Amino acid sequence: MISTFTNTDANSPLAAELAQRMANRKMAKEGRTIIFRIKRCDGPGKPSRWEDFKVPVPKNANVISCLQYIAANPVTAQGQQSTPVVWDSGCLEEVCGACTMVINGKVRQSCSCLIDDYAPGEGDVMTLEPMSKFPVIRDLWVDRERVFHNLKRVKAWVPIDGTYYLGGGPKESPQKQETRYKLSECMSCGCCLEACPQFNLEENKNEWDSAFIGAHAISQARLFNEHETGKQLKDDRLDVLMGPGGVNDCGNAQNCVKVCPKHIPLTESIAAIGRAVTVRAFTRFFKD
Amino acid sequence: MSTPETPAPTSSSPGFMEKNYFLLRRLHSLTGIVPIGVFLIAHLTTNSSLLWGKWGLRSEGADETIISGGVHYFWKEVQWINNQIPHLLLIEIVLWVSIAFHSILGVYYARTGKANTARYAYQSNWRYSLQRITGYIAIFYIFYHVATLRWGWEFLIPGDAKWSADYAASTLAAALRGSNTDFTAMGVVTSLFYFVGITASVYHFANGLWTAAITWGLTVSAPAQRRWGYVCAMVGVGLMGMAWMSLAGALITPPNEMREVEQRLLDKQKVKLPPQPGTIESRAEESLPMTTVSNQGVSSGQ
Repeated sequence: MISTFTNTDANSPLAAELAQRMANRKMAKEGRTIIFRIKRCDGPGKPSRWEDFKVPVPKNANVISCLQYIAANPVTAQGQQSTPVVWDSGCLEEVCGACTMVINGKVRQSCSCLIDDYAPGEGDVMTLEPMSKFPVIRDLWVDRERVFHNLKRVKAWVPIDGTYYLGGGPKESPQKQETRYKLSECMSCGCCLEACPQFNLEENKNEWDSAFIGAHAISQARLFNEHETGKQLKDDRLDVLMGPGGVNDCGNAQNCVKVCPKHIPLTESIAAIGRAVTVRAFTRFFKD
Repeated sequence: MSTPETPAPTSSSPGFMEKNYFLLRRLHSLTGIVPIGVFLIAHLTTNSSLLWGKWGLRSEGADETIISGGVHYFWKEVQWINNQIPHLLLIEIVLWVSIAFHSILGVYYARTGKANTARYAYQSNWRYSLQRITGYIAIFYIFYHVATLRWGWEFLIPGDAKWSADYAASTLAAALRGSNTDFTAMGVVTSLFYFVGITASVYHFANGLWTAAITWGLTVSAPAQRRWGYVCAMVGVGLMGMAWMSLAGALITPPNEMREVEQRLLDKQKVKLPPQPGTIESRAEESLPMTTVSNQGVSSGQ
């Protein structure tokens, strides 16, 4: 059912982006200084502003190491004293999703973003912005609570809690395991949501349950629906995904699958859930 | 099993849209294909016959030019549609209601999104934005098209053309040109609007066919979506060709020249003897208002 998603189509913009990065990496100059143009915000509801910082780039620097340099030297390119730029981070190896931000206009993790790929020359500019689909806490740090709220909406877990030993679980076939393994790599970073034209900033929490749930939650619903024990909650998940903000709100722009750092086949998950809710609707109408 | 503590109904109980969310979403998807999409195919097939009709006439069209054969065949098709198709008005009402439903919900759904092609200039993202833009254009275009040529809102037509089934090609051409002979300035504007309108409508249908397959879960894997994408692209290219042929057919010939062909056919129909009772032809002709006129003409002694 699942196919390995490839970005290697020679004509795809992703392939062009990748080729550009590889070319940049080869021609990156050692000992250069580059400019970081950072969108800053002092707190929730406060206005945003842009600040430039000059950063000397050592070999193999990434965005995080440059942000650490700015934190130690919070002086703008114009020589004005500023404050350290705030950002969120955790694992520093692209598995936790915390350091996700918009770099040069596109969303990705800042820890795995190498400066050589983006700014190979002296004085090159890199822009950093917080994700726009989540409320800003400060500077590049956003509140991703809605990502996890939406996982709760589809009960993205395996129900095994109980008061007694339930015994061994049912057998999993290797084929299904292979399908689910790829889906299980989701780190809830929010890239798919940031790039999605149907998922937009919603600060009012009361609206969260009727606003679009996002590709990540749809894909996680599929992951747990495919799990032999997790499928006990299959109908609960599908009923939510049939309703307001569910899978029908997807507009098939398919940006999610292109920006997913884990190359999770999100659009296949959306279609698979689309099929499952079609079947569920007929079942509900004619059988249940 | 009863639940002793049922929570009191909250003040914000779900409304009609929320309760029937899935049904409305899927009806929106379905109406785009049946009946609207199916009608689009039939409609463009008929209208493009203005260019290929000579060959549709077979031996009857042997003496005709491409232009007169096209007008001839198109005239026959329109006569058939308007006089032979059973409960035509019912079919039309189903279409109008479907288009209105698809349009209103489409605008409502489109407003939930925020285009971001500037940042994510992927082809699929452009298709997403175009689907919404062409939808808006198609609403305006189809409304204008139906209102002027079917509902008789002639005050919206440049010039004084009034569409009629007996002079279908010439009155259509006059409505596009703004006069019975040469293009007027407003006629050029109308023709350009038609070009944009039909192009948008065909794109909207072809791309909608592709997304509907994902919505319903017909195409699941990425290769399946790609394969179906090729099919939809071919459908789109074919329909686009037919749409542009239709418009070209209506624009290249002056209305007065078309009218000559139509008048010849109408005159020929008038002198045709009433068919023998009981034949298939006679039953078909009975429902023809046109031939009622001709019958009166021929058998005026009744």
